[in-house]
Amino acid sequence: MTDSGMALQMEKVSKRYPGTLAVDNVDFAVHAGEVHALVGENGAGKSTLMKMIAGAFDDYTGRILIGGREVLLHSPAIAKANGIQMIHQELSLAPALSIAENILAGRLPARGLVVNRGAMLAETRRCLGRVGLDLDPEMPVEEISPHEAQLVEIAKALGNNPCILVMDEPTSALGREEVQRLFAIIGNLRRQGLAIVYISHHLAEIFEVADRVTVLRDGRRVATRPMNQVTPAALVEMMVGRSASDLYARRKTRPGAQKLRVENLSRYGFFHDVSFGIRAGEILGLCGLSGAGRSELARSLCGIDPVDEGHVRLGGMDVTPRSYRAAIRAGLAYLTEDRKAQGLALRLDVAANILSAIIPRQCTAGVYFGGRGRGILGDLVRTLQVLPPDPSRTAGTLSGGNQQKVLLAKWLAADPEVLILDEPTRGVDVGAKVVIHQAIGALADQGKCILLISSDLPELVGLSDRILIMRKGHLIGQLPEDRRSESAALLAANGVGDLEPA
Amino acid sequence: MSTVRLNAEGAENAEKNFLQKEAGTPGKTNPRLGLIAFLRLCLSRSCRGFFSIFSLRSLRPPRLSLRPHSPDWGLVFVYALVLALVGAGRAISPEFLTHKYLMQTALAVALLGIVSVGVAFITYSRHYVDLSIPGIMALSGIIAVSALKYGFIASLAAGLAAGMAIGLANGLVVGYLRLNPIIWTLAMMAVLSGVIRKAYGGAQVYPDAATDAGRAFLDLYHVEVLSIVPLPVAILAILAAAGYFLMRHTGFGAQLKLAGSSYEVARMTGVNVRRAVMAAFIISSATSAAAGILLTSFNKVGAQYVGRGYDFAAITAVVIGGTTLAGGRGGILGVIGGVMVIALLSSVLSLVRVGDFTFGEFEKAIVQGVVFILVVGAGSYSRRKSGLDDA
Amino acid sequence: MRSDTGSRQAQATGPRPGAAAGRALALAYRYRVYLLLAAIVAVMTAIAPNFLTSGNFGNILKAAGVNLPAAMGFNIVMISGQLDLSIGSAMTLGGMMAVGLEPRLAALGLPPAMAWAGSFGAALLAGLALGLVNGLLVAKARINSFIVTLGTMIIVQNVVFIYCGGDTLPARSFALADGFQQPLVWVITPLILAQFAVAGLMAALMRYTPVGKGFYLMGGNPQTAWYSGLRVDRYTVGAFVLSGVLSTLGGAVVAMSEAVANPTLGDNALMTIVAAVIIGGTSMQGGKGSLVDSAVALVLLAALISGLNCRGEGYEVQLMAGGLVLALIILYDAYAEHRREKKRGQRQDLLRELHGGHI
Repeated sequence: MTDSGMALQMEKVSKRYPGTLAVDNVDFAVHAGEVHALVGENGAGKSTLMKMIAGAFDDYTGRILIGGREVLLHSPAIAKANGIQMIHQELSLAPALSIAENILAGRLPARGLVVNRGAMLAETRRCLGRVGLDLDPEMPVEEISPHEAQLVEIAKALGNNPCILVMDEPTSALGREEVQRLFAIIGNLRRQGLAIVYISHHLAEIFEVADRVTVLRDGRRVATRPMNQVTPAALVEMMVGRSASDLYARRKTRPGAQKLRVENLSRYGFFHDVSFGIRAGEILGLCGLSGAGRSELARSLCGIDPVDEGHVRLGGMDVTPRSYRAAIRAGLAYLTEDRKAQGLALRLDVAANILSAIIPRQCTAGVYFGGRGRGILGDLVRTLQVLPPDPSRTAGTLSGGNQQKVLLAKWLAADPEVLILDEPTRGVDVGAKVVIHQAIGALADQGKCILLISSDLPELVGLSDRILIMRKGHLIGQLPEDRRSESAALLAANGVGDLEPA
Repeated sequence: MSTVRLNAEGAENAEKNFLQKEAGTPGKTNPRLGLIAFLRLCLSRSCRGFFSIFSLRSLRPPRLSLRPHSPDWGLVFVYALVLALVGAGRAISPEFLTHKYLMQTALAVALLGIVSVGVAFITYSRHYVDLSIPGIMALSGIIAVSALKYGFIASLAAGLAAGMAIGLANGLVVGYLRLNPIIWTLAMMAVLSGVIRKAYGGAQVYPDAATDAGRAFLDLYHVEVLSIVPLPVAILAILAAAGYFLMRHTGFGAQLKLAGSSYEVARMTGVNVRRAVMAAFIISSATSAAAGILLTSFNKVGAQYVGRGYDFAAITAVVIGGTTLAGGRGGILGVIGGVMVIALLSSVLSLVRVGDFTFGEFEKAIVQGVVFILVVGAGSYSRRKSGLDDA
Repeated sequence: MRSDTGSRQAQATGPRPGAAAGRALALAYRYRVYLLLAAIVAVMTAIAPNFLTSGNFGNILKAAGVNLPAAMGFNIVMISGQLDLSIGSAMTLGGMMAVGLEPRLAALGLPPAMAWAGSFGAALLAGLALGLVNGLLVAKARINSFIVTLGTMIIVQNVVFIYCGGDTLPARSFALADGFQQPLVWVITPLILAQFAVAGLMAALMRYTPVGKGFYLMGGNPQTAWYSGLRVDRYTVGAFVLSGVLSTLGGAVVAMSEAVANPTLGDNALMTIVAAVIIGGTSMQGGKGSLVDSAVALVLLAALISGLNCRGEGYEVQLMAGGLVLALIILYDAYAEHRREKKRGQRQDLLRELHGGHI
């Protein structure tokens, strides 16, 4: 490090994707021995900025300096060579190999042809020591807990002797005391002079562990402050900015009588004792941080995952589903958050995808009449403005927004009574977002129940009639009518603020 | 990969420049008119109103084009190969296109075709192949012969039932217990082999030519339908038509296609994937049983070696025909094409004479293996180029 | 990412009955090949006459040894995430080349030892070539390994048939064969020694060298392998080359020791080897497996067959038994995987709440 102590400096960096400016003229700097938190909503540019640091792009603009020297961070190898190590959310360990073999992957010490076991174990113990893990280095990774695996990942990153460590949501899989242990380790690393970039949604944690915080919004840097000069509310205000939910028109129709009733639903280890109701024509928003159990709740509600306790009633009838097929027959439908792996068959064409949920309805005595779907296919493609409007296009060739429209069309075609939407506009461009929102509103106006799960706060607050908050597997309450704002929702998801009973 | 990205970018640009006339409203017979019309109504209203900031007025709803599907290049390629081989054959020998010769060629691969039609369902569902097919064929043949004493029809029924029972077992294990199909069917094959040998003491079972049923059985393979089409070829035609119908025009086929393209997505669409996979294995075992009975009739003896090699030969035909291992792609037409390629290749090679050298059975198999790799490689390459990630 | 949630849950919520049993079960599962071997030996000793004799032990080792080198190669390919169906044909090819070329080389004036060495070397070279073809088609042309090796299996099979005309090919003299089969120590013959030595070498490669670890990494997490700087294509080709060479080596050695090359040598090899590798715990997906365990599994299968033989049961029962053992193993594996899946993603703090708030 130079005497400026500035490990990483990014000056006016920008990254453009076709159609969007993901990072717009951002200044970002981290000292040696500092934990600098990076916060912002989904789509604010955090992950793009992070990837830039990791060397994923060779076409960014702006300057990056490491230790005072300008570096062209154009490939992961260059980033590595400059002492940058990234710890991703998804584990990058090979399960069958031992801890040592994972930590030293690609650089196993060898004497001639054979691995130098002594050196390997010593080096591994050294790395493990830095994170305070006392495991047998020869234990296979598949036999350790997720928390320990997370620490092994960190140890692996540390083994490359980085100056700059970027941690992306490191606590998403961890329990309370494990998080504390992680913070202790981070404290140690800080004292050892590492510069740490810490990315997280959990504001409480940031206040515990970080020295400074930078807020990004819409690709731009909003502010950088020392932690002792901000409050959670202030942070949230900066993250969210002027309430964008004002752009959403308040829907004219008022919700009717209660149609869906969920009573004491539990799936052990995923969510416990959840009860709520949705009225006809109502859009119920479900807000929570990642890991709160929202998607798990949705999946169990539809029978995709098992239910251990509780009941689901639709129009008075008990429809607690035993299988997804049964749920669909009863009138429930779930639009997954992972459109690529679970939502759309990317290798099939648009028509096959849109009609995939109603195949039984197109059949008489087992014979499939593809023509029957043509009417509704045409209508949906037109109404949702799928571009290009060609049903024989392979779904995988469409843009993200159009893929999402096709996914929505699929479930609209099924005509459910209750539609659960999980991140309906993630990774979707503005135009498509509008169309999808309108379709959701129209669906509600028809008297259907909609459960909206979304991390896009303006969307959640703008579309929903009511907002429920989930936290760590429990439904903790409903956002009061007079405090419906994105800030309030985000704070509530972090456990701050009073709520009404659901 | 870059091709796919290009298309996505193109789509986004198109979105900005799109200006199409709205299509006229076709007469609807769709009972779900209400929801969709309602949606459109809401959308068009808001289009004119509140969302001016997004300049949707300049973006009129585009016209829906219901163009026919772009051609399945795999199918085109296979049949081009078929034509090329026919041409080559004709060039070498004028007798090639005679009815007699063609029927001979067809008969030679009729049994392979019958098995392949069934295997196509398994490959279509992304479960590779059923390696217990030789065992199913042998078992069906032996059971059929053993049951001849109860009559001809009973014998056929018994043989088919035996084969399909194995298919049911396979389907349950692979479909419901989700065991790896290659390993399970390999194990099943070993067990079948052993069971057959044990049950019949390694001996072979001969149809009793003294009885009517026995004679009927021995003649079965040689029956000629309408005096021109050998029975196996006729059965192949019927099964191929039935298979085509099943795959293309039934709900089961549509669901199998989805399950084959992406098991996860099919599951998350409420399709009963496990039952669909089980059905695929049962279908395959049914066709294998039929082929096994016919082969046993041809051999005039029920034996455990009946059907040897049919598992790999069938997957060869299926894959040449464009049904990829990745599932959800291809179909019966392609399988027939693949079988034809194999048949014609063998035929054409028989006619080739270079000096003293002629193509014997082994040489032909080598050529077939090379052609197999080339065809599949070319198919896989072209699919990757057009952005579809396939095996 | 798997955790032994059975015993871990027990730790989190206080001692529960069955926690120790859970740990014992996990241990038994890990060393299952050895337990199975012990069980089979025990059962066979009880029910089969003449099973526990040194002569029989020699037979078992010999039977296991036939497929051993090819099994090692197949296992390496599987660990790196691919399939090699051509191993059986390669074994046959190796045998044919070793026995078939020796007379030609001898006719050129080479002394017998050199002639054998030459033909053996040629067999290895053929395996190398086959492995290169397989590997390059998979790595560079990116064709599915199932397809490539299915094709090469058929091609090699028929090349062999053309060469030998479908008949067995006898060697000129039994001298070498006798040398191979003469026991050195107890029942260990040079043949068995050679086969097990090769297997040991491969096992050592996989366990103790960076190259071996590279194969595991490639199969276990290809992304990470690439990020760690591994040349993935080279590893793929290397795995297939090893498989090809080891298969031809295995076949050559067997043919040389029998003084005859059998065109049906590799017929049942694929099935036996796949069974052994799966029983030994190698996963079809790659990244996991142990060559030593696969070798033990081969011995276990050979012992099973030998025991049945001693009882006078014929070939058919042996086949059935092998198939049944394989079926049972994979059924249990599926069951274990199913239980793991159900527990994946569970929040420990929620579970603790449920069980009364123990820390």
